[in-house]
Amino acid sequence: MGGTLSGKSALVIGAGGLGGPVLLALAASGVGRLVLLDDDAVETSNLNRQPLFGEADLGRRKADAAAARLRRLHPGIRVEAHDRRFDAVNGAEIAVSVDVIVDGSDNFATKFLASDVAVGARKPLVHGGVLRYTAQLLTVVPGQSGCLRCLFEEPPAPGTVPTCAEAGIIGPLAGLAGSLMGAEALRLLAGERGAYMGRLVVYEARSARTRLVPVRKRIGCPACEGRLGSAGPARDPVTEVESSRTRGTA
Amino acid sequence: MALSDAEVARYSRQLLLPAMGEEGQERLRGARVRVAGGGAAAAPALQYLAASGVGTIWIDDPEPIEAGDGAGWMFGPADVGRPRAAAAAEAVRDASGLVRADVMRLGVRPTVVLACGASADVSRAVAEEARLLQLPHVVAEVDGEGGAVTVVPVGAPCHACAARPGLGADPTPAGAAVTGALAALELVLLVTGAVQPPVGRRIEIFRGTPLARTTVRQPGCACGAAAAPRAGPGPAAP
Amino acid sequence: MRPDAHIDVREQACPLTWVRTRIALGRLAPGAVLEVLLREGEPLDNVPRTAVEDGHRVVRLEAAPAEGRGSWRVWLERGAPREEATWP
Repeated sequence: MGGTLSGKSALVIGAGGLGGPVLLALAASGVGRLVLLDDDAVETSNLNRQPLFGEADLGRRKADAAAARLRRLHPGIRVEAHDRRFDAVNGAEIAVSVDVIVDGSDNFATKFLASDVAVGARKPLVHGGVLRYTAQLLTVVPGQSGCLRCLFEEPPAPGTVPTCAEAGIIGPLAGLAGSLMGAEALRLLAGERGAYMGRLVVYEARSARTRLVPVRKRIGCPACEGRLGSAGPARDPVTEVESSRTRGTA
Repeated sequence: MALSDAEVARYSRQLLLPAMGEEGQERLRGARVRVAGGGAAAAPALQYLAASGVGTIWIDDPEPIEAGDGAGWMFGPADVGRPRAAAAAEAVRDASGLVRADVMRLGVRPTVVLACGASADVSRAVAEEARLLQLPHVVAEVDGEGGAVTVVPVGAPCHACAARPGLGADPTPAGAAVTGALAALELVLLVTGAVQPPVGRRIEIFRGTPLARTTVRQPGCACGAAAAPRAGPGPAAP
Repeated sequence: MRPDAHIDVREQACPLTWVRTRIALGRLAPGAVLEVLLREGEPLDNVPRTAVEDGHRVVRLEAAPAEGRGSWRVWLERGAPREEATWP
């Protein structure tokens, strides 16, 4: 444990279905400093898939409970847990001081924001998402590979994303996706080329099929070309609507 | 038996899924899973089996906890020296009051087996025993940063038929979590019947990319012969 | 026509409105009708639409002020179970 990773740091967005296994992987591998952001409280319906929390944590702030669990498993670990939502301002601030950003958020607005912040700060980002039986993974290395806006020109319009009533998620698939994200972050921290750099890996769990979608830098991508504005990512009206309540799954 | 309010609240996010629903959740609750072997994938797999609503879990692992066990998911330095199965059962019960978790003992009758051996020998032995008992089983083998999961529904080609050499690398915490989560996922899909038809398959994860193959019976393998008479389950091989 | 079963999800928060409706539908035979009482707003916007996506039919949808302010009544006809081969 330790060695080269003890001098490394990671920002993990969300401590739930995806962020939980990410944090567990990074902690167990000796990453020197973990910064986590989550502004939610632990609810019953979280417990089918969020391994940092148990029944005793119901009602507790996730940032709090996550830090406590990580410290119990790895005494002496350096965890900075923020009970805050990842936004353009705190994101840009924290990104400067970490070596990798891992996005375990559960909504498209935050995912696009994370990509924009990573590109703006020139830090690698591991993106992941789970919806029903499908998981997807992508690594963004600013300057070298395409970002989320290169792949999806803009966040999905409201109404095209499943609402909380339609979305469903199976715990072990979130665990698989989050653990794969953690493994990818560890590869990047060790100076290796990411397995998901420049390609979206899509895994459908029932058919056990893997698809690879190339993600090249898109000419005209506002994020990669630095046209989102010097103050940080643009305030996109769709982003504002999506931010008002979390949608999607993690 | 219908789902209680507590179960509906707990499992609401998976009750929304196609091919899962009250019936699938009841199948999970009715499942009695023997998790055999204290390999690195066991702790993450146990977490996800419990979280998914498996009704009964027996943990078959005679060893004490050593530093680094559990892939950093279940045990801290204060747990070193404690019997691993008992500590894991306690962790599972803490995670969910809806799951009955205990150390494996004689006389219990599992309905499905998850093999998480620390070595290929243990995996092979547990898988073969499950096959002879005509129990569906899932085998988790960690290999460096990844690993392989073999799914053997009743009558499918056996684990030995499906086995392929990997890197033979020491397990890492990330590989253990990836393999354990995938093993739990395959077991949940098997028990709920969400995959139809239930064909045997082996999924290998190497450098972060999953690759699945349908398993094929090797000519002359005993798994193709008529099944042996049922015998009682015993403790796992050391 | 009278419904074969009844469920009131006005006290439920999304997505339990749909989860409980789905469970109730699952307990019926194909062709049977479930009456659902739900509140206007998100439940009214989501539950009937999601039921149709899940293979069921909306046979009646009306405001039900007699049940309480903001209450709606929807009748869902349970669809045939969907057999999907998903592997290989």
